[in-house]
Amino acid sequence: MTRNTYSVPELEARARVLRRHVVRLVEKVKIGYLQQGLGAADIFAALYFGELRLRENDPDWPGRDRCILSTAHNTAVFYATLVERGLLPPALLDSYTDDGSALEVNASERVGALVEATCGSLGQGLSVAVGMALSVRRQKLDSRVYVILGDGELQEGQVWEAALAAAGHDLDNLCMIIDRNCMQVEGHTDKVVRMDPVGAKFAAFGWHAVDIDGNDMGQLTAALDAARGTRGKPTLIVANTLAGSGVPFLEGQLAHLARLTPEDAARAMAILDEVPA
Amino acid sequence: MSDAPEVSIGGFKDARRYGRETLSARSYGKALLAAAQADPRIVVLGADLTQPTETYLIRDQMPDRFFMLGIQEANMVGVAGGMARAGDIPFAHSFCVFITRRVYDQVAMQAAYPKLPVKLVGFIPGLATELGVSHQAIDDVALMRALPNMAVIEPSGPEQIGAAVAAALDYDGPVYLRLAIARARPDESAPLQPLELGKGLVLREGADVAILASGMMVAEALGAADLLQAQGLSATVANMASLKPFDHALTERLARAHPVMVTAENHSIVGGLGSVAAETLALAGVATRFGMVGVQDVFAEGGTTPYLMDKYGLTARHIADKALALRRRA
Repeated sequence: MTRNTYSVPELEARARVLRRHVVRLVEKVKIGYLQQGLGAADIFAALYFGELRLRENDPDWPGRDRCILSTAHNTAVFYATLVERGLLPPALLDSYTDDGSALEVNASERVGALVEATCGSLGQGLSVAVGMALSVRRQKLDSRVYVILGDGELQEGQVWEAALAAAGHDLDNLCMIIDRNCMQVEGHTDKVVRMDPVGAKFAAFGWHAVDIDGNDMGQLTAALDAARGTRGKPTLIVANTLAGSGVPFLEGQLAHLARLTPEDAARAMAILDEVPA
Repeated sequence: MSDAPEVSIGGFKDARRYGRETLSARSYGKALLAAAQADPRIVVLGADLTQPTETYLIRDQMPDRFFMLGIQEANMVGVAGGMARAGDIPFAHSFCVFITRRVYDQVAMQAAYPKLPVKLVGFIPGLATELGVSHQAIDDVALMRALPNMAVIEPSGPEQIGAAVAAALDYDGPVYLRLAIARARPDESAPLQPLELGKGLVLREGADVAILASGMMVAEALGAADLLQAQGLSATVANMASLKPFDHALTERLARAHPVMVTAENHSIVGGLGSVAAETLALAGVATRFGMVGVQDVFAEGGTTPYLMDKYGLTARHIADKALALRRRA
């Protein structure tokens, strides 16, 4: 099974579709992970439509690539991605956060096999990814393991334990994407705990670390290509993302939980519906 | 790799898988090595304590199955979850305190909730260390027992350790295996003991007192039975190595058949063997004279094991005295 061969413009179009879902889903619940979803839409499009080897009809396929969402609250964009990738029935999206729905606010494995681990308790996703990378390597599978972390999550000590372990075990089948949106509940991440330079910290730990514009599809796909070609060490992609990306009147607003009025949702949808030049 | 076990020890689902060598091993290290030789999915994780967790046999003989993560228990539990999700059966090792209390959220989310076959193996139960309060696990059974899907096993000693490893493998889910560091060469002539999840094991039959014990307190319970015998009382002693699932039926039956019941555990009386027995009897509507020997809701200090067991009331004499006091109570 080969990777998809979408062009950068095609992936950008996918990201726009994901953004529309994010607005629609957050509008439904009135308050939610709007800014993170819009900001990370390009990461999800690059991973799920370009990079990951998955089988729609066999989600448990042992040879699949794994992707762990350690920031398990970023579900509007995540569930939309699974639907658009053909891994979840589209109608399920209508039940987002409803009582009894598998599509909870924080993604749990009740959704199915493509929630590779139940995270949400921050700091744990990279450890699970390290375990998967160790096991698929020892089983001589060529699966790759991806994990999306938030930048605020780097404040958890366990991340640094796992960072040591990943480099110490030469896990070149592991790629971490840090969604550097500078947002946490308390405000700007660097005002809570100074984080920079993120990439240099991991490079000092023995990682191949790159810093990119996480809303630039060309940079994302190039970084993922480079990660796949890196030998002997894990890769970190610091994806600097803009909160609310793609909807100018929301861009740059740091809000862990954003309110979205029907009027603003309509404005946002009108912008996202425009065919790009 | 070997035929069905010669030793008949319990109703294992898939005894052929673990092999004769696992079931008859009298040390954890040998039991684990034999199990790993029989099942290629078994991988062994360490957090710096290879010698005291008896994993050096695997390290030396099966290095491709041994993963040293360093002093990072939280990460190790997450790694174990990831390996289990990829089809392996990880055994993760540390001291009892660090594989439970220190990593409780990681165990809950990455092993218990997803019901993965992650086997958490802790050494140094209860007060059995000179190192002091930092290394004394007095709440580990309570913590692990509170997690849905988690099984908790504490074998009585070398005679039950092979069966404990097999029982941990028999359960398709997370297990906490609470083990004592071997202090002497195991007695090869002592009969092997079975261990079946959810089953207690009656070691001695009596009529006046029932003693439920686990781990190193089983030997103390047998000693207490001797002390009671000297006073003309006969005691039933049951080894409750399967702390979760628990043998509620045996507990209820023994409570109904004896006027006095005492539990004995090298653990806090809050949340461990005594608690589960008390819950069992209350839910079954059995009123009996009931006492709990264990750490009485206090932190201890460092010291030799005999000193600490005496000071904190964990000896055969304490068990016998508790039974006698309950008997005297009208």
